[in-house]
Amino acid sequence: MAAAKTRTTSFSRNISTAAPSLGPGLKCGPNGTVFVSSGIPDLDKILGGGFPLGSLVIVMEDPEAPHHMLLLRNFMAQGLVHNQPLLYASPNRDPRGFLGTLPSPAASKDDKSRQRDPDQEKGLRIAWQYKKYFGENQLDGQRDGKHEYSNEFDLRKPLERHFLSAQRVECVSFQDCPNLSAIQDHCATFLSQFPRNDGNISCAGRIAIQSICAPQCEYSNMEWDMLSFIRSLKSMVRSSNAVAIVTFPPSLLSPSFCKRWQHMSDTLLSVKAIPDEDKELAQLLTGYQDMVGFLNVHKVARINTQVPLILEATTFSIKLQKRRFLILECLNQAPVDGSSGASYGTSGSCSGSSKTGNLDF
Amino acid sequence: MAESICRVLRDGALEGEHAPALTIKDSIASPFGFHVFSHVLSQLSSFLFAGKSQSRGLVIVSFSRSPSFYLELLKSKGIEVVSSDKRIQILDCYSDPLGWKDRLIEAGSFTALSHESSVSSTAIVFKNVKYMDKLYNSIIELGRGLVGGGKNRFSVAIDSVDEMLRHASMSSVASLLSNLRSHDQVSSVFWSLHSDLHEDRVTSVLEYLSSMVASLEPLHEPANGQRGDLEKFSLIEHNAKKGKFHARFKRRNGRVRLMSEEVRIEQSGINLTSLSSEGAVNQGLAPKVQFNLQLSEKELIDRANVVLPFEHQGNGKPIQIYDGRRSLVDSKQERPVAVTEKVQTNEDSGRGEIIYFRDSDDEMPDSDEDPDDDLDI
Repeated sequence: MAAAKTRTTSFSRNISTAAPSLGPGLKCGPNGTVFVSSGIPDLDKILGGGFPLGSLVIVMEDPEAPHHMLLLRNFMAQGLVHNQPLLYASPNRDPRGFLGTLPSPAASKDDKSRQRDPDQEKGLRIAWQYKKYFGENQLDGQRDGKHEYSNEFDLRKPLERHFLSAQRVECVSFQDCPNLSAIQDHCATFLSQFPRNDGNISCAGRIAIQSICAPQCEYSNMEWDMLSFIRSLKSMVRSSNAVAIVTFPPSLLSPSFCKRWQHMSDTLLSVKAIPDEDKELAQLLTGYQDMVGFLNVHKVARINTQVPLILEATTFSIKLQKRRFLILECLNQAPVDGSSGASYGTSGSCSGSSKTGNLDF
Repeated sequence: MAESICRVLRDGALEGEHAPALTIKDSIASPFGFHVFSHVLSQLSSFLFAGKSQSRGLVIVSFSRSPSFYLELLKSKGIEVVSSDKRIQILDCYSDPLGWKDRLIEAGSFTALSHESSVSSTAIVFKNVKYMDKLYNSIIELGRGLVGGGKNRFSVAIDSVDEMLRHASMSSVASLLSNLRSHDQVSSVFWSLHSDLHEDRVTSVLEYLSSMVASLEPLHEPANGQRGDLEKFSLIEHNAKKGKFHARFKRRNGRVRLMSEEVRIEQSGINLTSLSSEGAVNQGLAPKVQFNLQLSEKELIDRANVVLPFEHQGNGKPIQIYDGRRSLVDSKQERPVAVTEKVQTNEDSGRGEIIYFRDSDDEMPDSDEDPDDDLDI
């Protein structure tokens, strides 16, 4: 399924060979990369398409909030919906229990948007000459319902049982492991199913490792060993058609190792908790009541290219729309209250915030 | 606010969730951790005996105090622990944690003393503190003994994690605590810790493992500087009886609730009151910018003193245009209003003068001459 390529440069590649045929859930990206969805459509947009195959994503947890679990759940559920094999490792005794909390794709959002279109078209008759541009975007967004690249997940509905069959999901617990060699072997055997050779990619794999340096694990004070595991995981993933996501709480590692881990990543995200009933924040940001946390994008994977991806904004608020759908929003600064004499300017955490304020249309 | 902590512990765990866990941490500057621990313990026990809590029993793992201390403490709060009414059990890791008495008896150089009968039924002596898995099993066994099997839950209070860390590695202690939290029959867990006895990593691990963190800090920070001995003494005295009590709650929706109170140590226990405003300095997230939008007092006065070259100064005097050749004070006659050219405003602090020099007196406005006629090209 050849996807519409977004033109980022004025040069166009003269492709003599046909584009590689891709399985469901895979999308061609610039510079010969292939993307898989993160399970969160907003995050895919921010990262420029999704997670590229062969990259290592590291998520820095906040010990005070479980938001990294939301990211993991969506990632894992997306993989299962697209029939991509999954390896899940966690410090709990029974990792299978977590699979019960995976969300199900939200039903028929396409139908709603398709219905809205004819009405919208009537309303936009004045700007009719721009319809040709609208057409392009719509083609990208709406495809055959079953093989959508990226699904919206309903966090209140659990994933259907048939997705969780043993062939597709492998669970590993590393609580009682004295060292990381067992997990390393698991990862190696898992990744050997998806070797990378130039050609058709039938299937991609996903690895999700949760809280690798959890304190109850015996190896958790062996910092060099953990680092070398991450390095070998990165190299194994790079030479296969898979994406690995690893989460860890940075407060449990010494600062120098924390930095080393951050450098190891291809894509680096971090989640932060927000204080409850903080009047200052409520004044500063719109929509504070609905926010559950912040997501920071520190690094975006750029494979096969020297050009970095410079984002307009790096801090996003995590919200649960209708308590079901995970959405990421750019931080909007609340309109300044003239009477109180508050000053303008961007605060330290929200870089590049747009000043649309309360009047968002 | 300590009430909310006790309430959370009382309400316990939901189905399928980890049990709430509280870390009470203090330091030498404000060493009231054990007072807070006793307070929470007595509150939870009173809930337990009144039948209001989710848990049906309480296991106290005592490392730093003897079991009789706890029995006395509960008695003083009006809770009689009778051995027939099994709701509280104490795992005694204080009397003989490493099992030396047995070894000495074996070696023949020690004769066992008879245990106090009132204590022995409620307190079980534990002799293997080096083995966290054995400790875990004993706690679970004791708890099950109290509440039975099935869905009944019990709470666990651990006297001091510092002692545990003396004997066992961090990862085994962490594994014990997290296993306790995830056990089906545990309703809530709480423990106390002296943060300055350990590396930072230990404190952060315990905070990671708990869902509430209560920390004690001195009310007035002792400054390291040249202070008179008398002042220092009064500070120490102040800090000896009072402190700040901060709590961080990790809520289910992923937000963190912060609360602060003032704690005062009294004969009968601790007394918590809301924090007086002088202590609380709220470091908000309000942005700091490089330019100053507020004017100080002096600047406001100076601004009022500036004489502007506009037609009227707003103070009722007749219109005068200052053209740089006469002082403003002298001229009392009305001058014809001439169109001024560009005026440069110069706001000096202090006097607020505006210096303007007219180009030339001879120049008539709207002259027909082309000024460029002068040029010789």
